[in-house]
Amino acid sequence: MSQPARRFEPAERRTPPRTSARPSARPAPARRRTQPVAPAHKRPAAARRPRPSHRRSIGFVVLASTVVGSMVFGIVVVNVLLAQTSFRIGEAERRVEELSEDNLELVREQATLSAPGRISAWASRHGMRLPDDIRILHAPGSGSGEPAGADPSSGTTDPQGTMGSGAKGDPPT
Amino acid sequence: MSRPRAGRLIALFALMAFAFGAISVRLVVLQVSQAQELQDRAFDQRVRTIDLPAQRGQILDRNGARLALSTPADDVYADPQLVDDPWATATRLSPLLGVGVPDLVQEMISDGTFVYLARQLGRDASDRIQRLALPGIGLLPTSRRSYPAGSLASQVLGFVGTDGVGLAGLELGYQDVLAGTPGERTHELGLSGQAIVSGVDEERAPVAGATVVTTIDRDLQFQAQAALEQAVEEQGARGGTVIVMDPRTAEVLAMASHPWFDPNAFEDAPSATYRNRAVTDAYEPGSTNKVITAAAAIQERAIPLGMRLTVPWTMPVGDYIIHDSQPHGPLQMTLGDIVAESSNIGAVMVADRLGAAALATYLARFGLGRATGVGFPGESNGIMLPLDQWNDTSLATMAYGQGIAATPLQMVSVYSTIANGGRWVQPKLVRGTIAPDGSLEPNEAAPTRRVVSAETARMVTRMLAYAVQDGTGTNAQIPGYQVAGKTGTARIPTGDGSGYLEGQYIASFIGYLPAGDPEVVVAAILDRPAAVYGGLAAAPLFKRVALAAIARLGIAPADRVPLPPHALPVG
Repeated sequence: MSQPARRFEPAERRTPPRTSARPSARPAPARRRTQPVAPAHKRPAAARRPRPSHRRSIGFVVLASTVVGSMVFGIVVVNVLLAQTSFRIGEAERRVEELSEDNLELVREQATLSAPGRISAWASRHGMRLPDDIRILHAPGSGSGEPAGADPSSGTTDPQGTMGSGAKGDPPT
Repeated sequence: MSRPRAGRLIALFALMAFAFGAISVRLVVLQVSQAQELQDRAFDQRVRTIDLPAQRGQILDRNGARLALSTPADDVYADPQLVDDPWATATRLSPLLGVGVPDLVQEMISDGTFVYLARQLGRDASDRIQRLALPGIGLLPTSRRSYPAGSLASQVLGFVGTDGVGLAGLELGYQDVLAGTPGERTHELGLSGQAIVSGVDEERAPVAGATVVTTIDRDLQFQAQAALEQAVEEQGARGGTVIVMDPRTAEVLAMASHPWFDPNAFEDAPSATYRNRAVTDAYEPGSTNKVITAAAAIQERAIPLGMRLTVPWTMPVGDYIIHDSQPHGPLQMTLGDIVAESSNIGAVMVADRLGAAALATYLARFGLGRATGVGFPGESNGIMLPLDQWNDTSLATMAYGQGIAATPLQMVSVYSTIANGGRWVQPKLVRGTIAPDGSLEPNEAAPTRRVVSAETARMVTRMLAYAVQDGTGTNAQIPGYQVAGKTGTARIPTGDGSGYLEGQYIASFIGYLPAGDPEVVVAAILDRPAAVYGGLAAAPLFKRVALAAIARLGIAPADRVPLPPHALPVG
């Protein structure tokens, strides 16, 4: 009965296997075996104390329960932490996705609002219009080119472009 | 206490043995013979593989303005078998979907277990539908293509179908680049749909599509379209085309064909408006083609620049009599005069001196008869007969741009070649792509080839400037700038090839500025305008667009080029 219990003892407490040929290092149990076995119901109260091997078993059970319990608890805690982390990651991913979608929507809105057609329509509604003519002014000495309309012979002073032959009514091709 | 009878014990034992036996047999069946199948079924019930759609790339203008982008959306579907009350469900969905109640009910009472109720619904509406928690109604995430500027450059951009595949324009041409690569995620889910922490969780991330950067300038495109729309209305034209190009790079800054459409609602527009006619449709260019005749003659020294030809009003060619647009007596004209006054007879006389083979060579060198390779789907080659199929009128008619067809882009490319000093550059609509990591990958350098010498190109520019200053293109003059350009008034062939439509013309003006240092080429083409002639109908349109380009691009005047040798009086 004591053999299996000894298998689970801690290594440092493990004793060499006993044989009948070797003297016991623990005289007390050996002595106890030599005592005559009395009927159980007649055993005195002092004799019913837990035997050392029984105490070791109880200790082992407590220790094992503690270890196993701790492991189970640890596993549960780890799983809970993992689950929490998973939820957090999932929530963060959803948040990132939502924000990305919001960003895209804002980008689209910005592009829509900055579309030249919308701005032009808005400006027209508010009484603005494009200029009829565009004149480019050049600062003196700024390089080649001449001030707009400076050369009457070129016909460029006429903003309506009516000086050339094309406007005289001769049909061009 | 009496002992139970042995028979009862035996019966009880037998009963228990039978029960345990049955359980054992069932266990063996479940755990051994059906184990794999049941495991697989359980695994399939827990494991879900969902497609992760790739974000479609955006399309930008040359300055980064967004022309097309995708936003999240949902498809709304119904499982008719699970819809409790179709009428009540349809009544609640109708205002959110914008679909009539009877139509929705019709869908929800159909056979089957899946039917779409709406596609690509915006997230606001789909969120509200989700909150309704209607039995049998579900949402499928997808994306919706948006074109924030509406009809702006719609024919260039094209559009995307409900399944996210490009169907026209750059959306089609760059489908592989824009689409990206979809991914998928495989994971185990619990009953509530929450991922099982220690379960299978494998993900192959989607790769977003690249962003396409076009050469289009959004603001200039808008102004070009506005000018074109105004011209079409004023002239009562059937349509028109405008192209703006940078001759140094051959980048297309604006391209539009009227009528256009809104790609956000392309289903509502006639399919004919989808075509980017600037690239896909060829027309007979008429007198704008004379620039090729002139350039070839100068390059081949077919006629001295100062030589005066006596140009009559009419001339027999084969079985036909060709004539200039207006009656005139015999005129002494140089090549410069012929270009400036757009004389058909003069062009034919020059072409005769040049020869058919040389003219055919230069038509081909300038890119007529084959697609430019701009990278737009459905680009037309134009129509140019091989030299061995020319008849006795081909040389004459091609000299002034009839009997040959080119796309507006090809014709712009011809003028861009002259403006670029005689070097042809392949037109571009796309500058490059931006990968999802933000790196810009520019397109390969555009192929180029020399067509005529720089001296020849400069002389042609002088002739074109003369045409605007004192010839048929005076309505294209812009104060402060020297414009070089050419008018065209072309007859329209009948669809069956039997001849030309009577009294119907395509008016065009193609030119560039500043003549001394060209920065922009503009083509203005109107289909059957009231004013008929290119100089009267198309040149003002050119002017409007060119003014917009000057303001938008900050083009400064350059030194003026001198007039070419001419015989006609100036001014």
